[in-house]
Amino acid sequence: MPLVQTKYFGTMSYEDESVFDFPCGLPAFDEEKRFVFIEIAEHTPLVFLQSLSRPSLCFLALPALVVDPDYCLAVSVEDRAALELALEREPRPEDGMLALALVSLHDGLSATANLMAPIVVNVRARCAVQAIRMDRRYSHQHPVPGLGIAPVCEGAC
Amino acid sequence: MLVLRRRAGESLLIGDDIEIEMLELTPQGAKIGIRAPRETIVLRKELKITREQNTHAARGPESGDLGKALPGIFSQQLKNLPSNR
Repeated sequence: MPLVQTKYFGTMSYEDESVFDFPCGLPAFDEEKRFVFIEIAEHTPLVFLQSLSRPSLCFLALPALVVDPDYCLAVSVEDRAALELALEREPRPEDGMLALALVSLHDGLSATANLMAPIVVNVRARCAVQAIRMDRRYSHQHPVPGLGIAPVCEGAC
Repeated sequence: MLVLRRRAGESLLIGDDIEIEMLELTPQGAKIGIRAPRETIVLRKELKITREQNTHAARGPESGDLGKALPGIFSQQLKNLPSNR
């Protein structure tokens, strides 16, 4: 099995099914075109997007539906083409789609998720794009539910 | 912010060498043409925001600090949330 040097979990072996192609890279990381998606039981429902070419690059992501149970996808025609999807309509859940929101930590105290530009994954074709929404329906810094200030007490709680 | 009303086919000028023309207006949005010097960077604002946000997200916890950083922020609170998988 192939091996990948990860940012958080040392060297890991991975299945080819866990690798997703990002044909366009990600904004600010245009050269990063292949990521392994790592799920660790103790960190569920977090998904770690580990770059295959850069061990120090690993995004934390949450399924958009975890961040907002009513989240609705909106994918532009250009992004549908990159995802090898039907161009004439929005992707539907039965198309095997997954939307992941990249997570940002703020001084270790709180976290936000980018619902404005989710990573939209075509699970069947094993490819993904960061699909920037054209509408203003969701924030690029959506608070992650239940994540206000981390507990500061030690031992007592 | 300066607010102007323009119709399709009308333009406005920014400085000496940038022209913005309204090409088409529809309920779905405005189609805009921009004439600017080659060295002027024209960027959708959402793309700039996404770049900045990605750069921030990529910092994440330090490689040795995951166990320390996440339990307080994620593991406990998120376990009870619905998952789509």
